[in-house]
Amino acid sequence: METDNGPEVSTLCREIQWLLQDVVVEAEQRGEGVVKLRAEMDQLYILWNQRIEKRKPFQYIVGCEHWRDLVLCVQDGVLIPRPETEKIVELVEEVVGKDEGLREGLWADLGTGSGALAIAIGKVLRTRGKVIATDLSPIAASVAEFNVKRHGLQDKVEIRQGSWLEPLEDAKGKLAGLVSNPPYIPSGQISGLQAEVGKHEPRLALDGGENGMDDLLHLCEGAASMLKPGGFFAFETNGENQSKFLVNFMQNCPKSKFQDVRIVADFAGIERFVTGFCQ
Amino acid sequence: MASHLLKRSIRNPNIKKHLFSSTFLSSIHQIPNPTNQNSLDLIAANTCSFGTTKNPRRIHQNYLVKIQSFSSQAAVTTDELQTTDGLTVDQITANQWPILDETEGDWKSHASAVAQSIQLIKKRLQWKKLVMRLQMLTIQLNKPDLWDDPVHAGKISREHGSLMGKMKEVNGFERELLEHIDMLKLAREENDGELELESLKALLKMRRSAKEKELKAMLAGEHDPCSCFIEVQAGAGGTESMDWASMVMNMYKSWGQRRGYGVTVVDEMAGEVAGIKRATIKVDGEYAFGYAKAEVGTHRLVRISPFDSGKRRHTSFAAVAVTPILGDVSAQVQINESDLRIERFRSGGAGGQHANVTDSAVRIVHIPTGVTACCQNERSQHQNKAMAMSVLQSRLDQLEMARQAQMNAQHTQSLTDNSWGNQIRSYVLHPYRMVKDLRTNYEVSDPDSVLEGDLDDFILSYLSAFMDKDEDDMS
Repeated sequence: METDNGPEVSTLCREIQWLLQDVVVEAEQRGEGVVKLRAEMDQLYILWNQRIEKRKPFQYIVGCEHWRDLVLCVQDGVLIPRPETEKIVELVEEVVGKDEGLREGLWADLGTGSGALAIAIGKVLRTRGKVIATDLSPIAASVAEFNVKRHGLQDKVEIRQGSWLEPLEDAKGKLAGLVSNPPYIPSGQISGLQAEVGKHEPRLALDGGENGMDDLLHLCEGAASMLKPGGFFAFETNGENQSKFLVNFMQNCPKSKFQDVRIVADFAGIERFVTGFCQ
Repeated sequence: MASHLLKRSIRNPNIKKHLFSSTFLSSIHQIPNPTNQNSLDLIAANTCSFGTTKNPRRIHQNYLVKIQSFSSQAAVTTDELQTTDGLTVDQITANQWPILDETEGDWKSHASAVAQSIQLIKKRLQWKKLVMRLQMLTIQLNKPDLWDDPVHAGKISREHGSLMGKMKEVNGFERELLEHIDMLKLAREENDGELELESLKALLKMRRSAKEKELKAMLAGEHDPCSCFIEVQAGAGGTESMDWASMVMNMYKSWGQRRGYGVTVVDEMAGEVAGIKRATIKVDGEYAFGYAKAEVGTHRLVRISPFDSGKRRHTSFAAVAVTPILGDVSAQVQINESDLRIERFRSGGAGGQHANVTDSAVRIVHIPTGVTACCQNERSQHQNKAMAMSVLQSRLDQLEMARQAQMNAQHTQSLTDNSWGNQIRSYVLHPYRMVKDLRTNYEVSDPDSVLEGDLDDFILSYLSAFMDKDEDDMS
């Protein structure tokens, strides 16, 4: 049924511990010997069975993902934020640390999914700084909205449903920063993905067209008109090939408006991100 | 108690007269009252500069009265404390009054027991060295250019404050003992039965609290109050020693839980068949490092291995390292971001959107020293990274402490200098059953309870043996 070998025992053991962590209601008084659960035992059994038999992602089972210092709700139909993507927040922190103007500016997260990047960046910005996050999927938009409220950031982060830059007409040329983790997997590789991803996560958030770069290129072109001079962008890519292609594209296209375009690797050493500034 | 006695005695004109002629007059207002403080307060007084004393000048005054020309250096010159009739703590112990049971109500017993405790506490605090160190620090503190280097100055004044606090506390306790003796003798002279009984009660109370103080004096090290990491690593010998390493790890987990510490697994590398290759836990709570540091070294197991089909007896080893988590950021080693290599641990494949992972382990390598730290048990990569950083910080701090201790070997003798190779304890399950500490020869015949975390007796016997061995350190 699956082309991969499935999760390792040690991984499953850790997941079971976390499942219990999430399901046990913290007792007011310890030592009573009574443990309150948020779900019935047989319900837990069904859930875990889905994890093992159906290879349902653990994060969908418990309904949340721990990402940076945030706990984000996720459900079927919303991409589970990846650990690699945490790095984009660090890159933004670095940039706004050097330029307070950017910290007070308007930012955009395109294809926000659960709202992870938008929320984390919203927490980095100062009083006047704001984030607008867009997503084509209504489910993603509503989950992101929920997560924003959960973190009490309604005044800082605004969710708009729509395709990429379309809901941002009013912000044209005004953005201090633009980040995105768009779908970048080549269509041909979707069927061979790890079962947790290929069979459960939304294709809309994964499939980047024939060479995986449809959306990345669309965003690069859009970024030039959306960013204000000195504005910062960061995109996540599939790795070395896509990153190099993008850098080449941005530096050599005749009407390029970008500078300091560079590639940043993730912790696994894969050239994962492309960042730069608008001239 | 002291102020109560003062009030009480002022009502009696004779006693008042005696009191004012006594040598301890200058100090009677400022005696810390340890019997009324709980032990945590005492520790707090030990660790912060000048403790709970509201007016730091007072401490100096006590000594300055006698030697005024010495400026504040004189603050650490300890004159031997004595009663009005010239009795000192050393003389009390030299008298060898028989120490009877607490219930006997014999003041000499009480006084003698307290005096002995004071001597033991001084020995544990390495009194002579402490006084010398304090003098040295005072000289440095008086240098006019001290604050040109604020980091160094901060260190000096912190250490000065902490040592001063310790000295003050012991001196206060000593003074209190002598005062109660004075008061008791006085009461007898004046035939004041009520006051005599009160003094006797006070002495008994001191005797009881002295035991606690003895224990606390064992944990007087600068970093003893810290939380810590405990790391266990399997020795050579495959599955059998990996199983042993996980038994040792479980021993510390349940020891920590028994003591009420927070125990979390930071990093664990499982063996192929059973047990662990290595693991690190974080032990959160007061004095976790002070106790756990006694466990550093190699632990040896002898048993018939359940992994040997031939049922042969095996000897395996597991190494234990303990590092403190320094609460004071300014005491920590500065880590240069550019000296670090941070990597995903056990990563592979395309990553990113391709993979669903719940394992976001991070490894950090400190390139100049080669020290590494991993964390894989937190639920986000960000948190794994933060925890790995704190493990790395702790290991680098430990390295630095060892280096410093080597530099001024006359001051601190680091318990944790024990190298990994140093065998400290033997656990024999076959052919007989015994756990024996090779440093103290302390042994028990019930390995199961020890392996279930009943370690305190081993730890305390080692700490006291280590602290009490060096006769020269006495005042």
